[in-house]
Amino acid sequence: MADSVAEIQKAKKLYFFIGMLLFFFTVVTVLVATVEALDFGDHGFDGVDATIGLIIAAFKASLVMIIFMHLNHEKPLIYFFYGLALLMAFFCLWLIGWSKSDPIQFGNPTKVDGFYNPANPATDVHD
Amino acid sequence: MSADSHDDHHHQQSFWTKYLFSTDHKTIGIQYGLAAGAFLLFGFFLMIVMRWSIAYPHEPLPGYLSWIFTDGWKARWLDGGKVTGETYNMFGAMHGTIMVFLGVVPLGFAAFGNYVTPLQIGAPDMAFPKLNMASFWVYLLGGLIMCASFFMESGAAKSGWTNYSPLAGYADKQIVNQLLAGQTQWLIGLVCLITSSLLGSVNFVTTIIQLRAKGLTWMRLPFFVWAMLVTGFLLLLAFPPLEAAGIMQLMDRMTGSSFFMPSGLYSRTDGVMELSGSGSPLLFQHLFWFLGHPEVYVLLLPAIACVAEIIPCHTRKPLWGYKPMVWAVIVLGFLSFIVWAHHMYLTGMGPVISTFFQTTTVLISVPSVILLTSMIISLWGGSIRFTMPMIWAAAFLPMFGIGGLTGLPLAFNLADLHLHDTYYVIGHFHYVVAPGILFGLFAGVYHWYPKMTGRFMDNTLGHLHFWPSLICMNFLFFPMLTQGMAGFHRRWYNGGDAYLEKASDGINVFGLTVAEKISLNEVMTVSAIALALAQVPFLVNMFVSYFWGKKVTSDNPWDATTLEWATPTPPGHGNFTFDISVYRGPYEYSRPDHGEDYFPQWEEPKRSESGEDESEEPAEETKA
Amino acid sequence: MEIPFVVNARKDTGLNNSKVGIWLFLASEVTLFGGLFSGYLFLRLYADYPWPERALPILPGLINTFILIGSSVTVVFAWAALKMREWRKFQVHMSITIACALGFMVLKAIEYNAKFSHHAVRISDSGPVEGYGILEGHKKKVVLEENDRLHVVHKENGKYPEESFDANRIVFKASEMTFTLTRPVHDAFVIEILKQAAKRDSKITLVEDYAVMDEDQIGKDGAEKTKVLKAGDELTTDALDKAENVFLDSRAHDSAIRTNFEKASWAWIRDEKGIDKPGYNIIDLEVWKERRKEDNEKLKPLMIGAESGITFRVEPALTLILEPSWMTSNGRNTEQLKLRDDTVIKGEMLESPMILGVDAIDFSFTAMRAREQGLDPAAVIEKSWIVQEPQLKAIWENHQEWLKGETARLAKKDREPSDLDKYRVTWQKIVAYGQAKEADPDADLAKMAEEQTLALPGWLDGFAGADHYNPEMVKHFPEVSIPRDKVDFESTFTPKWNTYYAIYFTITGLHGLHVIGGMIVLGYYLFFGRKMYDSNPDWLANRVEVGGLFWHFVDLVWIFLFPILYLM
Repeated sequence: MADSVAEIQKAKKLYFFIGMLLFFFTVVTVLVATVEALDFGDHGFDGVDATIGLIIAAFKASLVMIIFMHLNHEKPLIYFFYGLALLMAFFCLWLIGWSKSDPIQFGNPTKVDGFYNPANPATDVHD
Repeated sequence: MSADSHDDHHHQQSFWTKYLFSTDHKTIGIQYGLAAGAFLLFGFFLMIVMRWSIAYPHEPLPGYLSWIFTDGWKARWLDGGKVTGETYNMFGAMHGTIMVFLGVVPLGFAAFGNYVTPLQIGAPDMAFPKLNMASFWVYLLGGLIMCASFFMESGAAKSGWTNYSPLAGYADKQIVNQLLAGQTQWLIGLVCLITSSLLGSVNFVTTIIQLRAKGLTWMRLPFFVWAMLVTGFLLLLAFPPLEAAGIMQLMDRMTGSSFFMPSGLYSRTDGVMELSGSGSPLLFQHLFWFLGHPEVYVLLLPAIACVAEIIPCHTRKPLWGYKPMVWAVIVLGFLSFIVWAHHMYLTGMGPVISTFFQTTTVLISVPSVILLTSMIISLWGGSIRFTMPMIWAAAFLPMFGIGGLTGLPLAFNLADLHLHDTYYVIGHFHYVVAPGILFGLFAGVYHWYPKMTGRFMDNTLGHLHFWPSLICMNFLFFPMLTQGMAGFHRRWYNGGDAYLEKASDGINVFGLTVAEKISLNEVMTVSAIALALAQVPFLVNMFVSYFWGKKVTSDNPWDATTLEWATPTPPGHGNFTFDISVYRGPYEYSRPDHGEDYFPQWEEPKRSESGEDESEEPAEETKA
Repeated sequence: MEIPFVVNARKDTGLNNSKVGIWLFLASEVTLFGGLFSGYLFLRLYADYPWPERALPILPGLINTFILIGSSVTVVFAWAALKMREWRKFQVHMSITIACALGFMVLKAIEYNAKFSHHAVRISDSGPVEGYGILEGHKKKVVLEENDRLHVVHKENGKYPEESFDANRIVFKASEMTFTLTRPVHDAFVIEILKQAAKRDSKITLVEDYAVMDEDQIGKDGAEKTKVLKAGDELTTDALDKAENVFLDSRAHDSAIRTNFEKASWAWIRDEKGIDKPGYNIIDLEVWKERRKEDNEKLKPLMIGAESGITFRVEPALTLILEPSWMTSNGRNTEQLKLRDDTVIKGEMLESPMILGVDAIDFSFTAMRAREQGLDPAAVIEKSWIVQEPQLKAIWENHQEWLKGETARLAKKDREPSDLDKYRVTWQKIVAYGQAKEADPDADLAKMAEEQTLALPGWLDGFAGADHYNPEMVKHFPEVSIPRDKVDFESTFTPKWNTYYAIYFTITGLHGLHVIGGMIVLGYYLFFGRKMYDSNPDWLANRVEVGGLFWHFVDLVWIFLFPILYLM
């Protein structure tokens, strides 16, 4: 970690730059959501916009983690904690998602947008 | 030997700071132990009332069970002195909640963990003593909030300890001020308990990682500490999703949202409910069991940890397979996060995901078996001393074995379809928790009592406690397995009476009928009451031995090797009177090259000896 | 006693205690928000209604994002200042951080407040599909006129008249009310009813004596009941409490006696009849049935048997104005109301319309349901009550006109209007249509849409939603009276309205609590950190670093919250 005065001075410039980068990408994500010329995919909100928005958010989040939270030079133990937590949060999302998209199905259920259609009683065997 | 003299900084403490708002891990451990013990007794009492209703569904509660209630309470909750279905549900939900969240976890993890862990790693206290104190008081607050609801108009929570929505979202809705409804208070209590266990687990993991004494490398840690470390991680990472679920359910109750309430919900009294709908009840079950399954290991690991400490000490033989056990407990902890949906085979999950969870569930039995087998093999060739702790630990092994093995059929989707929600399940997990975990913890109490008080617990009373407990536990829980195979449902408040009226001769898939097994109800109820009586010698023992028990003659009365025995008896504030360095592994019993049959971790090797064995030097890396 | 590694790092881990602690805490926070985010994801993916996309005004969220990013920068600057032993600079940067946190919470409060005061109604349309159209808007204030009708009032001198109330109340002419004593009567209800009775000169008096036999008088000849309350007594909470206590005592007494009889008959069948079987086998025995019958006869005269309800008469009949939340919708019909504490009010339901200044119309759900059943959404919407209402019909027709132009415009780019464009008339559009038609009654909205000349209100015109205090805007929002039987489900924009707002309030609320928590911790270092700084500057630097880690995490959560709640 930056400990000497010179290093900290240098780090401060980096922090400021990262802050500006975060501002910039915030503006980008709002523009993608509001300006019609930047509306990718179908007109209006759709999966493409969601993907772009989440990629930008994930990038911004990584900047915060790596630079502001000093994960670029941290001890292995911290990586272990954080990795474990992310892994568990991932399990939580992934396995719930998997079990929800794999219901017992009767007949030939129609799927809407790749997910089961709750309005179709043939698929409506849970919830 | 004196507790206080060693500490230069020791200043006079008032009664409050010394016993109530203490930041000393030992006091907090004892506070946890006493509070958890009280909750356990209360939960046990609820269970006896339920068992009475199961065995004698048409008979009023006898005086020895009903004296505790006021006439007004009885008029509200009993029907001519008999337990009603509503009351049974309330007691059932609270029995589960109290035993799991307020009883066994605080006793195993918080009480033993707090008292023993810092001593075993040679630390002066926990890393964050104030957080430790906060953790206890938040726990107590949560517990009291939950139990206070018994005296409310609505009564306590009634939707099972799992609190599934939409039932849990709808129950007690008739109460205008939802803060005064038992279901809501259950959730508020739960949020307190989760907060408490978060504070606790952060503290434990930090303490174990940071405050190990000089030379106490990872593979020199007693197994107890390893188990606590894994338990800490389980609590840390598994509890928050339940906190999220609890908060969402709290929102459902307090603000009328529909997180877990599906569209078009209908009740007989209220018709179509005024809700926005579109929530997912299944989401609650997922988030609940994401905690729920690791929680099983949070209950179990402290008990295994106690037994793993006691067996080497009382057989005078190193723990067999220490390293495999350590790895097993780590793998166990990891796997426990991805097995949860085996509690949910009947919720309409598809075959693919069911197979996934079935596979992981079967996998997790491998580390469990490694742990149990290692401990059984540890007995082989040891000179077993049948002291009180050892007797309990020895009984733990087969009892936990039964509990574990009866779980295997439940792991398999096909078998579980028939056994789900029957008494078989109840029998299975009670074998794990009651004669298993509780026996392990009893062993721990008898083992560390001399360190805590400076006196041994009485042997005669101990035997009076042990043998009846062992017999009654088995007469109580074994019939459950048989009844479950016959199809007894876990929520029958009158023990199958109403079922018989409708379907007296239905033979189930195992070729059994309810009628032929119903008489077991009485055996179990009598055993439960006898089991309660069997705890009296223990309570007497705890009290009597504190004042009149046989005094210990040294700080290390069991001739044990781990660091907690290097402290004065009882340990004072700051624990150790000398600078602790660790020179060897935790279970150096009966070393042929050593004069005595035990070689404590802290004993400095003789000059000549250290030359032969480099590993006995305190490891350089951990020097402060 | 001193705990090691409070400030200095332990060699083998390279960390001090609080750094390990905070990272463990953050790890648990990751799974906490992981649980909440999976809640969001699955509620959204499996919603059985059209998820509200981009439903929130973006500007407050955007400013809050800037604020949090800015504060994240200043908090690392504060830490760097401490590392370089610049106390003054530390103070400045930390103060900015805390000011940012405060600003964040203020904006959050403004947003929440806009939601709390904004109303939505599902209109029950028993048309060809089981769907509902949605009207959004502001509740009007009304007063009750002499003829029991509601009259909309407006602000005078910046204030509504004192006797005005929200136009979503149940108006009910009460002539009789019965309170249930088996469980506590909700005092707040009684107090409000009494207040209204006093205002309108109605008397609420007991119909019959509430008389109960004394415990020690039971079985005596000529024993008389004690009058707890006399006929003609006025309703008070004290009177209800008194009756309730007497009732509960009598219930306890009766229950105890019944229990004793039960016990005696069990003793009899065991000891005298010599039958020792558990309950299952015994209840069918003839002797047992006989005994029970006898017991019941003997019991009767020993019971107090107090009445479980008391009835009050209201004279003259009183027009009550009650909040809908006092009862469930199933607890009210034309002749009686059943309040949530089981109090039954008899009388006559008067017209209790909801009067909204409508600022949005939404048929997405109707359209979704229609499509699922293979029907033409436009035909289904045609039959809705909303489109029958003249003012709303005008807006809807304007919208259809605009949609025609918009479709043509998008077709040039090979695109189609989204469902949101087709079936949701937002407040911006209502204002824009209104302004266009105001400027020129014959304005061709289709053409304006195609040429993109229709001026929609900008971000600043409605900072946190439609501004109902701006007369220029509010005149375009028609005042619509919705009959009570058309109100299927109503709510302000709180968690109750739908699962989107539920998760929005839950996650942002928890995030807000984290902001407050962080603010308190960082504020502590700013205001009480000097002592720590003087004794060991590195100690404070470590603490600020730890607090900063938490602060960055809060920022990190918001970085995800902003797009998923505001932009998607």
